[in-house]
Amino acid sequence: MARLAQGDREALTPLVERHYTRLYRIALGYLRQRDDALDVVQEAFVKAFQAAGRWDGSADAGPWLSRITVNLSIDRWRRNRRRGQTFSPLAEGDHLEVLAAVGPSPDRGVHRREASDRLAVALGELPERQRAVVVLRHYQELSLAEIASTLGMSLGTVKSSLHRALHHMRATLAGGES
Amino acid sequence: MIFAHLRLRRRVGLLAAGLLDGREQDDVRAHLAACARCRAEAHAEAEALGPVVAALESDPLRSAEPHVPASVLAARVARAVAEAPAPAGRKRFWLVALPAAAALVATALVLPPLLKRFRPEPVAARVTIPPAEASALLSEDALARIERNLAREQAARYLSEAGEVLVSVAATGIDCDREDDRLDVGAAPERSRELLEKRHLVADAGGEAVASARGVLTDVELALRQVAELPACVKRRDVELVQKDVEARQLLMRIRLMTRELEG
Repeated sequence: MARLAQGDREALTPLVERHYTRLYRIALGYLRQRDDALDVVQEAFVKAFQAAGRWDGSADAGPWLSRITVNLSIDRWRRNRRRGQTFSPLAEGDHLEVLAAVGPSPDRGVHRREASDRLAVALGELPERQRAVVVLRHYQELSLAEIASTLGMSLGTVKSSLHRALHHMRATLAGGES
Repeated sequence: MIFAHLRLRRRVGLLAAGLLDGREQDDVRAHLAACARCRAEAHAEAEALGPVVAALESDPLRSAEPHVPASVLAARVARAVAEAPAPAGRKRFWLVALPAAAALVATALVLPPLLKRFRPEPVAARVTIPPAEASALLSEDALARIERNLAREQAARYLSEAGEVLVSVAATGIDCDREDDRLDVGAAPERSRELLEKRHLVADAGGEAVASARGVLTDVELALRQVAELPACVKRRDVELVQKDVEARQLLMRIRLMTRELEG
């Protein structure tokens, strides 16, 4: 990051290699569309380069990059919502290989896919910040304190947001099953 | 005892959702051992939320790999960075802010003597001369010249104030919410709205006297509309959007030049 702050573009490659997959999973967990997720991650690295001079260097760049990615994901979500594209089940070809690989039978693959779609709807109905908390907790396995630091929220707010989010998702998932 | 129960009962749900640790977790667990009703609640909560957590944890997207290799993304990022301006930091910020501030100072130094030259007489002094007499004393040409100068003076003042608002937004570095990367733009949105309300007085009522300023006035109006929609505590990227727009239109320089022209 110190090299980035000096405008050294060579420093981008190691930064991308180190954080790419993690940031991609945050954006994908939030948006559930792989092209959007990739765009967001690319933009996050560009933003990081442009804002490197403002980074104080006192901490790991990971949470800072995560926060940029979450904010950009929220922006992309809003933009998609304005265009009526927010949701939701993965488009054909989006990680079908991942979904197909998890079950030995076609039926199980279909079931997994339906479950993933229901989950997408439940996540999509959460308020933006609550969804970010859920993604960081359950897709990144960050501790509550790390989530608080990443999102600039108090620990108590993280706990109550996550608790409310899980209840909200439960209601949505239960509604979808009936 | 009852207070402890009420306090800890609220946390039963958090414990069941796996959101407590350390001493907090120990306290609630100890309370559960002594409170059958709380145990039942914890059990019900765990049963309710368990499937949600399981659904999240079995989502295959948690382990999804990017479909574009890191080296390709790094190349894309490098290309985007090469096309974008240099790292922002505070340096680049001041590259914009300093010349703008210098322009304002220069305007502030030059403008008052010029305004003084064209400033209308105080109302009390003017009313001592009835219009009919004034017409008799001043030729039509002289009156038209005064009106023209007043219209141009008003336009110059309007542009100068608009410039101040735009600089105050572009040069703000005051964090109002550091965690959310938000900046304080103070009264700029409100001042923009006030200026927009006065705009027709300057542009329309000014007539031919301000015809040469119409292009700048239109661009200033667009920029003020952007600022007018901002909250007082605004995301940095929204400030940067205004800043980029002002830069792209070379608005501060054009305001400065037009103000000079209007001042004669």
